[in-house]
Amino acid sequence: MVRFYLLAIVLCFIHHGNSKEDCFPSEWLKSVSMSVKISKAGFHRDLQYRVQWSKTDHDVQVLLVQKLPSGVYMDEYQLETLRRDTGLEVLLDSKVDLEAPEYLSSGFTALVFLSGKHEAVVPVHGRYHRPSDSSKRVKVDIESPRLLLRSDQCTETLSPGLRRVVVDAPCTFSNHSICSWMEILDLEDNAGVSLEIPVGDSSMIITVCVGTVLTTVLSCVYLLRNIWKHGSF
Amino acid sequence: MDARLCVLLSAALLVRLALLCFGVYQDQNLQLKYTDVDYHVFTDASRFIIQGRSPYDRSTFRYTPLLALVLAPGVLLSSVCGKLLFVGCDLLSALLLFQLLVLRGSARSSATLLCGLWLFNPLTVAVSTRGNAESLLAVLVLSTLLCLESRRRTSAALLFGLAVHMKIYPVTYALPVALSLSGAPSRGRGLVQNLLRCVSGDLLLFAAVSGAVFFGLNLTFYCMYGWDFLQESYLYHLTRRDIRHNFSPYFYLLYVTAEHRWSGVLALVCFLPQMLLLSLASLAFRSDLPFCCFIHTAVFVSFNKVCTSQYFLWYLCLLPLVLPRLTLSWRRGLGLLLLWFVGQALWLSPAYYLEFEGWNTFTLIWIAGLLFLLINSLILGQIISHYRPAEAQLKKTD
Repeated sequence: MVRFYLLAIVLCFIHHGNSKEDCFPSEWLKSVSMSVKISKAGFHRDLQYRVQWSKTDHDVQVLLVQKLPSGVYMDEYQLETLRRDTGLEVLLDSKVDLEAPEYLSSGFTALVFLSGKHEAVVPVHGRYHRPSDSSKRVKVDIESPRLLLRSDQCTETLSPGLRRVVVDAPCTFSNHSICSWMEILDLEDNAGVSLEIPVGDSSMIITVCVGTVLTTVLSCVYLLRNIWKHGSF
Repeated sequence: MDARLCVLLSAALLVRLALLCFGVYQDQNLQLKYTDVDYHVFTDASRFIIQGRSPYDRSTFRYTPLLALVLAPGVLLSSVCGKLLFVGCDLLSALLLFQLLVLRGSARSSATLLCGLWLFNPLTVAVSTRGNAESLLAVLVLSTLLCLESRRRTSAALLFGLAVHMKIYPVTYALPVALSLSGAPSRGRGLVQNLLRCVSGDLLLFAAVSGAVFFGLNLTFYCMYGWDFLQESYLYHLTRRDIRHNFSPYFYLLYVTAEHRWSGVLALVCFLPQMLLLSLASLAFRSDLPFCCFIHTAVFVSFNKVCTSQYFLWYLCLLPLVLPRLTLSWRRGLGLLLLWFVGQALWLSPAYYLEFEGWNTFTLIWIAGLLFLLINSLILGQIISHYRPAEAQLKKTD
């Protein structure tokens, strides 16, 4: 009986010892922080992500899962050019229409791979929104991204715990096979960002119709008169 | 060939080559790229064709597969090959302009000067060195006109069919070309007899050859790429209702009425001024085809539902043909040119603040668009009222 208890205690120690060699120990996770900022103005913005963590003896792969509303879009071709020029790795989960207005588009998700880097700047563009008769601008909210961590060197099975869950996501930008990632929950400063897009004034609809039609009729009549006077029939 | 023309063409080539080199440098080192997005669209589509895929896999590729095929060497050799082709088309357009001008009676020295206006126009230089394909179409339109002026009707028909296949807008030239090829109506005869005279052998041949080229190419590409080809190459342009800001006077109207019941009716109403003006201009100026085509294109672009600065090249390539017979004084001509630039500047400023600073300048952009239409109409009206066709000039010298 005593031997059984001794064995149990030894196994317990071994188990705790193993969890101390956990890839992402809880103490280290407290050092992980993420901030999202939006810069520039107008329809073309930059989402600036910065993820900090304290030194650790293995590599840290970071994946930001950013859900984006229908009010904005990312240009996959621009992202491809940026990948060639600066090494930015962003994967979009669906084909994004570059020209449709907001009310004919849907949201999508962008996967931002930070391979060892601590920051990334991702360009995002505003879509045209429905004209409004009450406000000059419309606010588009972009929620904070989900932060996922993984390590190539440390291949211990990830275990969930307080403030963290295990999720599946593509391993790297180029390798689309699924790996297990650790999602860190309850991060500080995760209020998200927002941008304001100017919208047309729908209360002016009659003015715009009348003004446009009058001007085009005036121009048309002027030209017709000139053509009639100076043309040879 | 004229020595002065050679010098002019060489200088134009040097300027363009210098800009191409600068463009390569800027693309590699600065954030703001020199090359236009369209060029990347073309080269991506070319790459897809070489890989055996459809060029329409590239989103926003709204052109004929011929364009992607023509640019295929660029994908295999160097990325700058396509731009070199467009630069070559610029120079070829200048040569065609020179020949047309001389054929229409200009002295070689003034023809060279007028070609210089095309070659050193900043818009022309920028558009082809940035990788837009407008100069390709300028070559096709100018060569069609040259063939018609020198009575090579079959070649003209071939080139016309090809031009319409590449971009839809030259189809508006069909009416003045048809009227110029048909027999001249005689005052003594009745309407029906005149209409029958219209359908001359020349006209039928022209229609048959250009129709065969156009429909032949379309059928081939439809068989290869299916509905995508028709949708992206033609239907998109015909039904396009871009609500994003552009020079068109209809932009804001289309934006605020985008989801209204009667937006379809409005879109149709917008066609009416174009139709009326194009029909009357075709009748009035059918004897002077280059002038007629110039008026056609200028009206088409100014009253179109979408207008970007590349469209200006469509009529600017025909302007040198109109200038010799214009009796505008230098002061008035320069004044009108300045007015045209002021009109663009008045639109570009609020547009910049809207897109890059987020200011709500929609109303200003709308008013600037309407003002630009009025300016364009004034300039066109002045050109029409100060144009002296060849017969009038001959009468003056008699």
